[in-house]
Amino acid sequence: MNAARLHRSAIALGGFAALAGAFFLLIGRGPIDMLVAIAQASVGSGYAVGESLLRATPILLCALATLVPARLGLVSVGAEGQLYFGALAGTGAMLLAPSSLSLVLLGGVIGGAVWALVPALLRVVADVNETISTLMLNYVAALLVTWLVYGPWKNPQSQGWPASIDFTEAARLPLLGESRVHVGLLVALVLGIALHLLFTRSRWGLVLDVLRSNPRLAPLAGLSVTRQVLLTMVIGGALAGLAGIAETSSVQGRLQASFANGAGLSGFLVAWLAGNRVLPAMALALLVGGLLAAGDGLQMMTSVPSSAVLVVQGLMFVAMLGAGAWKKGGAGG
Amino acid sequence: MADTLLQGLPVSALRSAAPLLLVLLGECLTQRVGRINLGVEGQMLVGAVAGYGVTAVSGQPWLGMVAGAAAGALLSAVYALLTVAARADQFASGLAVLMLGFGVSAYAGSGLVGLRIEGFALGAGGTTPTLWLAVALVPLIGLWLYGTRTGLVWRAVGESPPAASAAGITPWKVIVAGIAAGGVLSGLGGAALSIDHTRTWAEGMTAGRGLIAVGLVIVARWNPWLTLPAALLFGLAEALSLRLQAGGSAVPAHLLHTLPYLASLVVFAVTCARLKGGGGPEALRAVFAR
Repeated sequence: MNAARLHRSAIALGGFAALAGAFFLLIGRGPIDMLVAIAQASVGSGYAVGESLLRATPILLCALATLVPARLGLVSVGAEGQLYFGALAGTGAMLLAPSSLSLVLLGGVIGGAVWALVPALLRVVADVNETISTLMLNYVAALLVTWLVYGPWKNPQSQGWPASIDFTEAARLPLLGESRVHVGLLVALVLGIALHLLFTRSRWGLVLDVLRSNPRLAPLAGLSVTRQVLLTMVIGGALAGLAGIAETSSVQGRLQASFANGAGLSGFLVAWLAGNRVLPAMALALLVGGLLAAGDGLQMMTSVPSSAVLVVQGLMFVAMLGAGAWKKGGAGG
Repeated sequence: MADTLLQGLPVSALRSAAPLLLVLLGECLTQRVGRINLGVEGQMLVGAVAGYGVTAVSGQPWLGMVAGAAAGALLSAVYALLTVAARADQFASGLAVLMLGFGVSAYAGSGLVGLRIEGFALGAGGTTPTLWLAVALVPLIGLWLYGTRTGLVWRAVGESPPAASAAGITPWKVIVAGIAAGGVLSGLGGAALSIDHTRTWAEGMTAGRGLIAVGLVIVARWNPWLTLPAALLFGLAEALSLRLQAGGSAVPAHLLHTLPYLASLVVFAVTCARLKGGGGPEALRAVFAR
């Protein structure tokens, strides 16, 4: 079992190195130089590690947000939209109560939960496939944020730059030490471990496992699928909403358009690659965060545009998916 | 106000719908053979950037369309490799392809941002060649799928790969063909968007059209004939939102832009409620059955 996993990781790593190397050659860069530069820009200094952790935080929360409904067998791709709506609701709370961090955070969490409740209700009431409804709602949430920062919530002092007013000092998530990393990372890690324990040790975890493997058992065991659909989706939404408000109230300091940078989709892939298990998802989120942080550093060090790192990130997911399924495939189709 | 709002609306709705219609037809074929490809969004993006780049360099919009189709097909090969050869999860593979397409198109298109091209000449009544192409493909694909032997083979694979296999068909070949058809058509759709509809390239310009197509296939009940009304629904909502905006509507532009997504979602929900999980190719139910 462990040997198989090691084998798979080796295939994924080799595949990724080959794909990324080919891509770098294609754009006229030395593959070894670039891989070394990526490693340096992600973990080469204290600052780099901080930036990596910073990028990993929303991805980890979004991975958890995907993972909770997935434990029930739901394929929710809505973390991105829930993240936006959480940021929106949290910012709304800040505008109403400028100096209450707890209200701001509560707003973010509730906002994300509400945005997830819509596809959950659609699923329960009308049998609407949650994958597609959450995808569409992602765009709606992002547009709502765009509308607010260009319109009603636009900071009059920001001279054309579409953003809300700055969060007050009191409404900002505290930072860890001297770094730019915020408390959200610790919260995400604690929540992750709590979820891990719930999934593996509690009755609830068992209920989810039973319902996932055979929903028809539910009425026999006196379990309500409906309740679990609503519960897991709302918990997922709350986690993504937390990611949104943490980014807004700490990293950005104000609400801006398209600030999520695809954290929701990265989170989905992280959760899926981790087999919807919490601990591997934590490790993978850190890896992806490091890669993305390297993108920013790379742009400065080697003048490669950051979109090249998006390509590398995509190649990484492709390599992992390919390798992850390889052993299942065996021979023949 | 009402007059200017409605004048020529059918044609502008069709023009808005044409890129989506191409993608929708492609995804319809892909889902017919039993795969749900969320990567069409990325395939559309590489189609848009390749089509736009080639048109800008060569001045030949048709050459651009061919390049778009090729780019879409190439990226769909990654999806085919992942889901058929490595048997990876469909949704995750689709999202990985989406991300890859987004990155590749952003990287390749960084020099094209803000550039404008000539594109196609407008035809009678403000119609464009890509509109005709998309509309003409509807009956062609519809007749092919329901009226020919190969169409039947594709449907058989979508219903039950083992049964098709027993009938002497090699399912994986058909599945790869279905994915490739989706790649070609989504690449064409992307090229139609950048070359004809907007005549410009911008990062992420497809704005979820590919993903909407995935949902609208279900609204169209996996029937190529019904893709036209399904795409028109989105086109109509988009054309209306643009007109309301131009007409100085009190509702802000960004809110109006949510209209196509919400309209698609509502129709999708109504369709789902009526279908209750039935009506699609059987092999797809294995994906949805939970």
